[in-house]
Amino acid sequence: MKVGKKDIFPSKIICLGRNYSEHAKEMSSDIPKEPVFFCKTTNCLIKNEEYIIYPRLLYENEKLNRVDHEVELAFIIKKRCKHIKSIDYQEYILGYTIFLDITARNMQIEDRGINLPWYRSKNFDTFGPIGPKIVENIKDPHNLKIELKINGAIKQSSNTNSMIFKIPEIIKYLSNYITLNPGDIIATGTPEGVGPIQPGDLLESSIEKIGTLTNRVILEEILES
Amino acid sequence: MIKIGDKTINPTKIICIGTNYMDHIEETKLPVPKEPVLFPKTLNCLIGDRDPIIYPKLLFNNRKLKRVDYEVELAFIIKDKCKDVSKSEIYNHIMGYTVFNDVTARRMQTKDILSQLPWFRSKSLDTFGPIGPRIASIGEIQDPHDLKIELKVNGEVKQSSNTKHLLFKVPDLMEYITSLFTMEPGDIVATGTPAGIGPVLPGDIIEATIEKIGTLTNKVILEGE
Repeated sequence: MKVGKKDIFPSKIICLGRNYSEHAKEMSSDIPKEPVFFCKTTNCLIKNEEYIIYPRLLYENEKLNRVDHEVELAFIIKKRCKHIKSIDYQEYILGYTIFLDITARNMQIEDRGINLPWYRSKNFDTFGPIGPKIVENIKDPHNLKIELKINGAIKQSSNTNSMIFKIPEIIKYLSNYITLNPGDIIATGTPEGVGPIQPGDLLESSIEKIGTLTNRVILEEILES
Repeated sequence: MIKIGDKTINPTKIICIGTNYMDHIEETKLPVPKEPVLFPKTLNCLIGDRDPIIYPKLLFNNRKLKRVDYEVELAFIIKDKCKDVSKSEIYNHIMGYTVFNDVTARRMQTKDILSQLPWFRSKSLDTFGPIGPRIASIGEIQDPHDLKIELKVNGEVKQSSNTKHLLFKVPDLMEYITSLFTMEPGDIVATGTPAGIGPVLPGDIIEATIEKIGTLTNKVILEGE
């Protein structure tokens, strides 16, 4: 996977849920006492200026016809690590980038409502745009403007200083459970303002000091076989 | 990358099926699913035959979380990149079959399910995905739905069933999964566990056996020992 000029080989993508309190409120979720993690699989990854494909099986089903944007600050793991201390966190981070956690919202709500895993709704092909580049030296990743526009209109606008669990806590907590490998992607959660996207929409996700990740949404074409 | 018998595979994801044997559905009192229930495990969980399963201290030393379960499963390995595979074509896209042990931090999973949180951390701890001892080819196993499946702890039979009791069969799973996601060569699909799940403790030896494939043997050890 090429992100800007860097090639990364992620073995996993781990996302935080409910890490901005205003977003937890808009989802009618409790504010978590410890970080909530889920994973996305690498089939969802696409780059800057590639298409987000809206699957027909969602588009043509009126109960499932809702796909949302969620802009997130992501960091990339630099070296293999387990049980790390929060104070050392910068040593294990290759850099920062923008991640768009595209979510089939109605499918997620349906699955969650019957206590099923958050998997399929998060992992359609192309549901994980990343980029436009990896920025190495951000001294304070907890003071960056984060924003998402659809067709030029601002939909999400916040600052990473509103994150409930900050990066040192996230990496400490996560590496307490699992080994992190070079290239692994950790997405730190989305602020409030999530909402639906439609085929034809142009999404611009921006984080201060990183840049803008641009992706257009298109409807899945059915290939005649 | 993981070596299974004489084959090396390079999976990008592990997809597991929850509640896919009628006897297991009855013991867990979960509803009978109308479509396959999918959840992922991350690759850090993979270990081979004879590698130790590491019981994490953060579970062992926490009275509320101290329960780790075995779950023997028939797994199949994807042969080539594929999407939208029809039932009649599925065996062209499967490399073979193996034994998978979906080791689970049960109390942590139950706690997360009841809070409608993702099934992630309880399933993806390091070493919680033993696989092997070999990959049996499609030619060796003409019918994957008539295989004895068994698991022993310290020589005592704990799970004993037959893959004919799978609710969603291999073609159903393959068709469903590839309708959602692109699968890559080496990807692992674990088809679910039969009744009889239960706890293991450090020192236990787990033998997971499927007819025509072989026995996957792993000893449980406490982290740090």
